[in-house]
Amino acid sequence: MVKVELKGVTKRFGDVLAAGDVSLQIEDGEFFTFLGPSGCGKTTTMRMIAGLEYPDEGRVFFDGEDVTNLPSFRRNTGMVFQNYALWPHMKVFENVAYGLRIRKVDGAGLKKRVDDALELVHLGGMGDRFPSQLSGGQQQRVALARVMVINPSVLLLDEPLSNLDAKLRVEMREEIKELQRELGITTIYVTHDQEEAMAVSDRVAIQNHGVIRQVGTPSEIYSFPRDVFIATFIGRGAILEGIASLSDGGPRVDLGGFTVDGVDTASAVGDGDRAACVMRPESFSVTEPGEPSNRLDGVVEWSSFIGPYREVKFNVGGTTLLVDVPPETETPVGGSLTVYIPVRRTIVLPWDEVK
Amino acid sequence: MDLKKTIRTLKRELDAMTAIQTFIAYAFLLVFLIAPLVLMVGQAFVYQGGTSFRWFVDLLSSPEYVSFTSRGGRLFEVRRGVMYLWGHDYGILLNSLLVAFFVTVFCSIIGVVAAMLMGRYRFPGKGIFRVLLLIPLLATPFVNAYIIGKLFNPRGGLINYLLVDLLHILPWRLDIDGLVGVILAQTLSYYPIIFLNVLASLNNIDPSVEEMAENLGARGLRLFRTITLPLFLPGLAAGAIIVFIFSLEDLGAPIGFTGARANPLSRKLVSYQVYSSFAEALTGSFSPKIAALAVIILFIAVAGFLIIRRYVNLRTYAMLSKGGRWSPRLRTPSVKTRVAIILSLLFLVTLASMPQIGTVILATSNWAISGTLPTKATGQYLGTLISDSDVTRAIVNSLLYSGAAVVITVLVGASIAYVVARRDIPGRSVLDILATIPVAVPGIALAVGYFLLFSSKMFRGSILDPLLDPALLMVFAYSIRRLPFTTRAVSAGLAQVDKSLEESSMNLGADRPTTFFKVVLPLIIGHILGGAILSFVYSMSEVSTSVTLGALREDRVPITFFISQIVYGVAAVGSVSIGAALCVLLMAVQITAMAISNYILKQKVAFLGV
Repeated sequence: MVKVELKGVTKRFGDVLAAGDVSLQIEDGEFFTFLGPSGCGKTTTMRMIAGLEYPDEGRVFFDGEDVTNLPSFRRNTGMVFQNYALWPHMKVFENVAYGLRIRKVDGAGLKKRVDDALELVHLGGMGDRFPSQLSGGQQQRVALARVMVINPSVLLLDEPLSNLDAKLRVEMREEIKELQRELGITTIYVTHDQEEAMAVSDRVAIQNHGVIRQVGTPSEIYSFPRDVFIATFIGRGAILEGIASLSDGGPRVDLGGFTVDGVDTASAVGDGDRAACVMRPESFSVTEPGEPSNRLDGVVEWSSFIGPYREVKFNVGGTTLLVDVPPETETPVGGSLTVYIPVRRTIVLPWDEVK
Repeated sequence: MDLKKTIRTLKRELDAMTAIQTFIAYAFLLVFLIAPLVLMVGQAFVYQGGTSFRWFVDLLSSPEYVSFTSRGGRLFEVRRGVMYLWGHDYGILLNSLLVAFFVTVFCSIIGVVAAMLMGRYRFPGKGIFRVLLLIPLLATPFVNAYIIGKLFNPRGGLINYLLVDLLHILPWRLDIDGLVGVILAQTLSYYPIIFLNVLASLNNIDPSVEEMAENLGARGLRLFRTITLPLFLPGLAAGAIIVFIFSLEDLGAPIGFTGARANPLSRKLVSYQVYSSFAEALTGSFSPKIAALAVIILFIAVAGFLIIRRYVNLRTYAMLSKGGRWSPRLRTPSVKTRVAIILSLLFLVTLASMPQIGTVILATSNWAISGTLPTKATGQYLGTLISDSDVTRAIVNSLLYSGAAVVITVLVGASIAYVVARRDIPGRSVLDILATIPVAVPGIALAVGYFLLFSSKMFRGSILDPLLDPALLMVFAYSIRRLPFTTRAVSAGLAQVDKSLEESSMNLGADRPTTFFKVVLPLIIGHILGGAILSFVYSMSEVSTSVTLGALREDRVPITFFISQIVYGVAAVGSVSIGAALCVLLMAVQITAMAISNYILKQKVAFLGV
């Protein structure tokens, strides 16, 4: 298992910046995720770790050793491709055995290790099939077994679940997480699905237009987004624009019809600046919490029963907010409603036109 | 900085295998494609030791080559009950261009009409026509033109007998000969090239595109003109330029017609001029004027090819249809129209497969000497294929040359395709063009270049010296000329192998050669074999370099040279049937090869195009 470090890694494809000065450290045994919209450069960043692309500038280190110019076949990483990249002319057994044969393992040792790997991904006895005879989920497992069998120092997963249906996706991601925890292998995961990223990762890096916008644990990123892009990309809720004024307790934002007190998670809002105010629907409550909070009085515009909660479009002084209230709350359209949101959950960020 | 980056990239991309592949490809192309042609171009500019346009000025100002008034010939002239269709002689160079132009126009018309009928209408017998329309692709070099000349002979030609004497449809006999004869023979053999290209484009048009236009009110001709035609135009252009080049360099029709009718007008063509000068070449000297002539058609062919290629690349529309149905728009026309379609296709197929049918008849009967119709079947000509030592030697020669050429062309072609598709090295687009350009290089130009280079002092007395032994040169000429087939076939295979299949192999620790042999090769082996088979077939029936370089040593002649000599009339009367027997052999090889490709390798053999 290794520690992976990127230092100032930059990669351009023509005019497109796929990775802009990416510097970060992935700890030994960590489950680390690159999250971002498609085309943000997350796959390219991973491919540079795999040695399938080479950075224009910057360096890549494995356990302090510079591997920047090392070809993929000398890095001992195990990459699962988005399309699985199973070799269609080889049976499952041969697909999995491939890496071992390259490493000159053969005979009984080979067979045992391949069988163990297939067992690990619950595909025992499927070795005789061709990839085309397997379902999508099974192909995914073969791809996983194929890299796990060589004991890679880093496991790289490039959108591994994007070709599976919703139910299988949740199952597989739990399995992958389970496997990673058991083996303690450094794992780097690429996805555009925020829920997936939150569910499996120790830490997440959010990337946009090649640049890493924030690195942190899922809860850090969710609760303390560093900029408007992250706040929009992660979680639900409207981003409201207003003018900030600073007081001792923190920023207060004038949102036109009303004002709220909040916390400046990026520590970048100045007095009189245009500011963005992020209020997550689930941060609201209908009873006053025992901490400093903002009270909002408004009118219900529309409400919809989701199950665990009721989603309400709520108009305060001409501004519409999305609010989750307990399912049993009476919310007739046109009726008035009062909700509270803790100050520490009212996030104030410098305004930024989201690109 | 940028240079440093380039060097770094190069160091990484140019591992041992890529280096060897690139080196072999460039070395081969340099020695056997670029050097001979460059030398030929150079020679054409040499006059009395200095550089000069003298030979070009000579050619262009001499009425023998370029004349704006007719130097003789007959067209639509009726004399004593015979209508003469020979064409007029406007000088050798203009004649070649005019012939190529008309062949291209006629092939385009026939090809587009046939493709529209096959691609847009439903009618009985369509499956059979799909096969019959391709019959002209079966190679019957020289003999096809000989047969057309024989059928349209005013004295005892079968067509004249049928139309005039038997059915009284025509008031006069037709005498199709000379340049018109060449145009007819070439049109009938080359229209499938355009037909296939246009049909492929038509099948590639997303039906919803046409449906949308109809939905907006466009119908009939308007739909064709505004939507369908522009979308298949790239396919038409790709096929048309190939036909134009093939016509320019064709030797089969001029020699075949000469054999049938001995009308000198059918020889007034550039290709024939270059060919006949090889007889003098035996003495070791070669007129720079002929080199200049070859340079002119080389230039026209290559320039035309590159222009069209650029145009086609610009207009290759990606037809992506998300959802919806993708079944071609087939219409079932009224009974009357269906009958008309069938009759017109029947007429085309009958006319176009006359040479192939005629070849079989000629090879199996006494038709060569019996007059209008054969009177007796005989196996004696087919028998000569194994009994006559000259014939067997030609067959063995052709098999050896083609076999060796295939090995070379597969090694080089697969290397080029792989490097171009997968490696990021500078100059790979040059490699790509060089591997395709032989399609556009007239074989006779290549032959002249080979002769000039390899009989020069540098190679004199070596195994490559054509005056000593032309066998190796023919092998290399075949492999250069068929290189585009293999390269293209392998590229098509590689396009189906997702890059991630290789990346996952390298990620698991396999270096590039291991990845190539264990992952890539098994996945594209079918395409490689398909390309090899295609190259083999077209090497067996190769004409231009075979009849020129092949002429240089008697015991090294390949099949096509042998046929050309027989048809030209060098051998005894009636022996043309031996030539036909050899053509039957060529057709059999071709049919077998296609059957193997289609049914065993499951490859749709890609025919010709830019």
